[in-house]
Amino acid sequence: MRTQMLKARTHAGRKSPAATAGSGTYAFRLFVAGNESNSTEARQNLAQLCSTYLKGRHRIEIVDVLKNAAAAIKHRVLVTPTLIAIEPQRVVTLLGNLSDTRQVLAALRLNGNRP
Amino acid sequence: MRAAVPRRRELTKVPTGVTGLDEVLRGGLPAGRMTLLSGGAGSGKSLIALQCALHGAKAGEPCIVVLFEERAAAVRQNVLSLGWDVRSLERNKKLFFLDARLNPEAVVSGDFSIKGLLAILEQQVKALGARRIVFDAVDTLLHLYNSATRERHELSGLHEWLLDRGLTAIMTVKSDPQDGPSRYSFLDFMADCVIHVDQRVTVQVTTRRLRVVKYRGSGYGRNEYPFIIGDDGIHVIPITSSVLQHRTPGARMSSGLAGLDRLVAGGYKRGTGILIVGTTGAGKTTLACAFAQAACRRGERVLYLNFEESPESMVSNMRSAGVLLRSAIKSRRLVVQSSMPEATGVEEHLFRALRALDELRPQHVIVDAISACERMGTTHAAFEYLMRVLDACKQRGITCIYLNQATGMDVVSEISGIGISSIIDTVIVLRQLSIDRETRRELMVMKSRGSRHSERFHEFRITSHGIDLPKA
Repeated sequence: MRTQMLKARTHAGRKSPAATAGSGTYAFRLFVAGNESNSTEARQNLAQLCSTYLKGRHRIEIVDVLKNAAAAIKHRVLVTPTLIAIEPQRVVTLLGNLSDTRQVLAALRLNGNRP
Repeated sequence: MRAAVPRRRELTKVPTGVTGLDEVLRGGLPAGRMTLLSGGAGSGKSLIALQCALHGAKAGEPCIVVLFEERAAAVRQNVLSLGWDVRSLERNKKLFFLDARLNPEAVVSGDFSIKGLLAILEQQVKALGARRIVFDAVDTLLHLYNSATRERHELSGLHEWLLDRGLTAIMTVKSDPQDGPSRYSFLDFMADCVIHVDQRVTVQVTTRRLRVVKYRGSGYGRNEYPFIIGDDGIHVIPITSSVLQHRTPGARMSSGLAGLDRLVAGGYKRGTGILIVGTTGAGKTTLACAFAQAACRRGERVLYLNFEESPESMVSNMRSAGVLLRSAIKSRRLVVQSSMPEATGVEEHLFRALRALDELRPQHVIVDAISACERMGTTHAAFEYLMRVLDACKQRGITCIYLNQATGMDVVSEISGIGISSIIDTVIVLRQLSIDRETRRELMVMKSRGSRHSERFHEFRITSHGIDLPKA
């Protein structure tokens, strides 16, 4: 998982001119707090969004801050859920249960895509 | 069966380690409770919180510092410059800085909570065995929420979490008194102790002040207290301005001038306030130095706070008037502290004066001149400085001699304008007249509490062997 994430980042760092917004592989790291409602919702919303818009080109890593506080310190995750999305060209941070799909798509620059 | 008598629970307090603040708080912050420190940007609230954290960490109460706004590295650097060894505290797991700055570019979509923060804190509290926790710039965290209800809800959650763990917490929050009631006023209700800090600039001089707004279950000093950020941290200047604590005047001692002693029934009383007022060149400094010289010869110590000239120029001027000070300075019986009134704010001057009183333990203090003190800021600032120095002297049984430069000939009416005459015991007026192209100096004892005194002007001369005041 870890190496895959790093690969995605290296790719992003190269800023390939061929990679356009909304294409390429998306790596997501979702920080949750156990099974509290917002975390559960975020997990569901992210899975839904990936299967609709990013079929076959995404990876999801779930980090439970209640079990892994060190990761929360490292990534300065103060609020849950926090989604760190490493998309082909940049890293985007989203806070919240991802209930506003339009906003999430816009932040990930997927709003031009058709499901 | 006897009914159980409800036991009165004593509030436990933990010292802040901030000089003067524990006195104002009657012992310190409420242990296991939340304290709110609010104030504008640059008011010094973060430093107060940090000093308290470090004091705890050193005194066996490990502390976590959550930084919502500043980089941990920058804060570390700031406190290192104050000479606090944070690194060894961090190494020994007595102190932990949590960099909790939020990503400003983060996009908010839907509801969230600070569970991540709590998970981090939970782990660190256990790792350190933390007893204290500081949240610096908690308003930055609250800004994330667009709803006042959510802000309140999250903060109550955090408050509960802190109470459950018995942590002594300090939250700092930015506030601007000009804005009216703060958006975060709910924090005032939540906290057990609320302290407001502010910084004012009047006539180009910065003054910092601190006021305890509330303290559940405890008494506290209700004044506004000036404080300074010294080279080793915050110093609050508490005043216990109660005349009841003033010591009763002591025995009489020589004023340094036999002729003047006769006019005030045998000399000045120890531990009283004496005002010497007169126009420029009337001989105020000479009269005060003659007293200092006599006191030092008796083996007593004198602190001379000089706002007019350097110690060197004072010594050489006095030598030509026959008052010899060099040996007294050499033996440190006489300590002259010269400074420009406008160099720092009034509280810094006050801090220096009070520190000198405690360190040197003088029997007498001379302030030359109170008219220059207005250049510390405003008339009010000068008044406060003089009141507090006099108050501190009277509590310690120290004689306090104030010199005041009158601007006109009508020195008598100017005295009442100073506003401190009510706590001055003796007033001596000096004046210089030109009669037939000759300068004539005169002295009058205008007030001498508790003793009979002569009520007319007496001529005197300043010669190369001192002041010559003929017998009345």
